[in-house]
Amino acid sequence: MTHPQARVDPDLPEFLWGSEGVRDTVPPAAPRPTKARAGHTPGEAGLWIFILGDMTLFAAILIVFLWDRRSDPVVFEESAHQLIQPIGAVNTLVLVLSSYLVVRATYAHRGGRHPQARRLVAGAVGCAAVFAGLKAFEYYSAISSGHTPSTGTFFTFYFVLTGLHLLHVIVGTALLLVWQAMLKRRRSWTGSQKVAEGIASYWHMVDLLWVAIFTLVYLVSAE
Amino acid sequence: MLTNRILTLCAWAGPATVVVAMIGWLIAGVLPVPLGSESSIEAVVSFYSHDTRVIAGLVISTIGVSLVFPLIAVIAVYMVRMEGRTPILAFLQLITGAATGVCLLLPLLLMTTIAFRPDRSPELTMTLNDIAWLLFITPIAPFMIQNVAIGVAILNDKRQTLPRWVGYVNFWIAFSFIPDPLAFFFHSGPFAWRGIFIFWLALTTYSVFLIVMGLTLRKAIRESAKPDVSAVNAAAT
Repeated sequence: MTHPQARVDPDLPEFLWGSEGVRDTVPPAAPRPTKARAGHTPGEAGLWIFILGDMTLFAAILIVFLWDRRSDPVVFEESAHQLIQPIGAVNTLVLVLSSYLVVRATYAHRGGRHPQARRLVAGAVGCAAVFAGLKAFEYYSAISSGHTPSTGTFFTFYFVLTGLHLLHVIVGTALLLVWQAMLKRRRSWTGSQKVAEGIASYWHMVDLLWVAIFTLVYLVSAE
Repeated sequence: MLTNRILTLCAWAGPATVVVAMIGWLIAGVLPVPLGSESSIEAVVSFYSHDTRVIAGLVISTIGVSLVFPLIAVIAVYMVRMEGRTPILAFLQLITGAATGVCLLLPLLLMTTIAFRPDRSPELTMTLNDIAWLLFITPIAPFMIQNVAIGVAILNDKRQTLPRWVGYVNFWIAFSFIPDPLAFFFHSGPFAWRGIFIFWLALTTYSVFLIVMGLTLRKAIRESAKPDVSAVNAAAT
């Protein structure tokens, strides 16, 4: 075992060197020079690679969906009428409301009003739970009336798109809870801006994706 | 420095994986249009009947795919630097990376075995081909865990050994693999194993992974070599 005050043994890998102090002798790499740019990117620039990549993938699936619809518009229309449109509409409103709460929570956190921000984030998590509950009911009623992912192209896309989206809602809820925990520890805005804005941006993406899915799968296909 | 040369070589193994595997698949005929789940028995049997060419191409592709192992090693070295005293994510990346490599190798070896005796009963060839392709496409969890481990390590790294966007790219790549198990449910269309959201998407994002990790690590190796040179110069004067 290495003694707490063990000297650096250059033959050992860095992480086996032992004492806390030793790490200071490792010359810390200079932090990457950050390019000064005008304006402000919510979260950080890298996050937007993920968000735009994610949206591109959803867009690609939606484009193939619309492409396949051209070959069989009648079946797509009949299938779209099997969906419960009011539930989709309510879910859209629920997610838009949650986005609004997230915006308010960002302002509250920035202004240092932690308890208020916590209530607002909790409200957004509540909206996510309502969304998931209604989605589960929708799946239940679709499957019990005999529509499964393998009953035709429309339902394949319906289940794949809404399933992938639901996964995003779940990940987003986990991220909102991370934010909630940060607020509980009363983390200052300067220390948590990147994370909080990143989570808020992700949540808005989840909302935006749902609006696109609802429009194209529930409304346009039913025309 | 010899160490840096080895590290650089390992980083280049990432892009090399893409090039060598693609060459092998082009020779074997896996690319440009692979066999699909909707392919007829005749099409599958005739694919493997060109046995010498198919075997040669697949053997090249197994070598190509194995070049991912050096890349995993150099990722691990850099993750150890990022994490410091308890490099749990580095070990997680090593284990899952190794598993991913094996999951890619086995189906290619199975395809080579199918071409080994192409005159067997067609149903057997069909079954073996199904096994090979579904094994190739669907075991995504190890790779997704590897991506998330790399992403979390990069974003937690105060020293920014690798640029933060590489972390986010890893999360996006993990996400792009999620549709792959759908290959079990569909025999045709965009979510069958040959569909654009399965084979083609996975091929694209896995190539992005190999190239982005290889090139950003090469850059990091070059940057970390610089202070050493100045230190040596300072000692000499």
